[in-house]
Amino acid sequence: MLTIGAVANKTQVTTDSLRYYEREGLIRPAAKSAGGYRLYTEEAIRRVAFIKQAQQCGFSLAEIRELLELRATDAACCDDIYRVAVEKKLQLERKIRALGAMSQALTRLIEMCSRDRSSLDECPILGALEAGLAVNGPAAAQPRRARGKSA
Amino acid sequence: MKILIEAFSAPGCAKCAQSRAALKAVVEALGAERFDWRDLDVLQEIDRAVALGVVSPPSLAIDGELVFPALPTPERLRDELMRRLADGAA
Repeated sequence: MLTIGAVANKTQVTTDSLRYYEREGLIRPAAKSAGGYRLYTEEAIRRVAFIKQAQQCGFSLAEIRELLELRATDAACCDDIYRVAVEKKLQLERKIRALGAMSQALTRLIEMCSRDRSSLDECPILGALEAGLAVNGPAAAQPRRARGKSA
Repeated sequence: MKILIEAFSAPGCAKCAQSRAALKAVVEALGAERFDWRDLDVLQEIDRAVALGVVSPPSLAIDGELVFPALPTPERLRDELMRRLADGAA
């Protein structure tokens, strides 16, 4: 049997994380010592490796719990795991596109700025953000002061 | 103008294929020439799937709108298509 420290060493995961995984229902000790310390089997090492790998693929702990439950369900088949993986891929692709749109909005804001060290009242980036026009292009480039006067 | 139906599914999904066949039968019954049915592999057409908001295939989009995030019953699809055909005729 392995102590929590031994599992932490073998998996390169902190003991705090292992306790967190336990609270989230991802792992559980096989037994407790006479002194009340958690004791694990080698299965815990495999589960933690699984958790780490799944996290690298973008799965949340809740999703990893679903995968682990499916893995342990006799009625589950590869189609179930495949479905989870396809849904995660779609979710990641959505995020990639959202991040791309954010990056493009920032590019437009950066291009508005002449970096002439004028006061923040003249800052087109802050002006565009305040006006909520970051994604609408150069029309948002009015200095804050100018917009304030026209309002 | 034909109504565009895009059926997104994961490759190799036997359940998807079965459901799709029942839905295609609805389209055939309403007149196949009035529709442009496309079977799309969600992984091959991931840009289109993401643009339409597909979260969990199988899903069905009609004229560029994700009307059924999960496959409908044949009855629901028939109702939706008949409504659209009536709107188009009006």
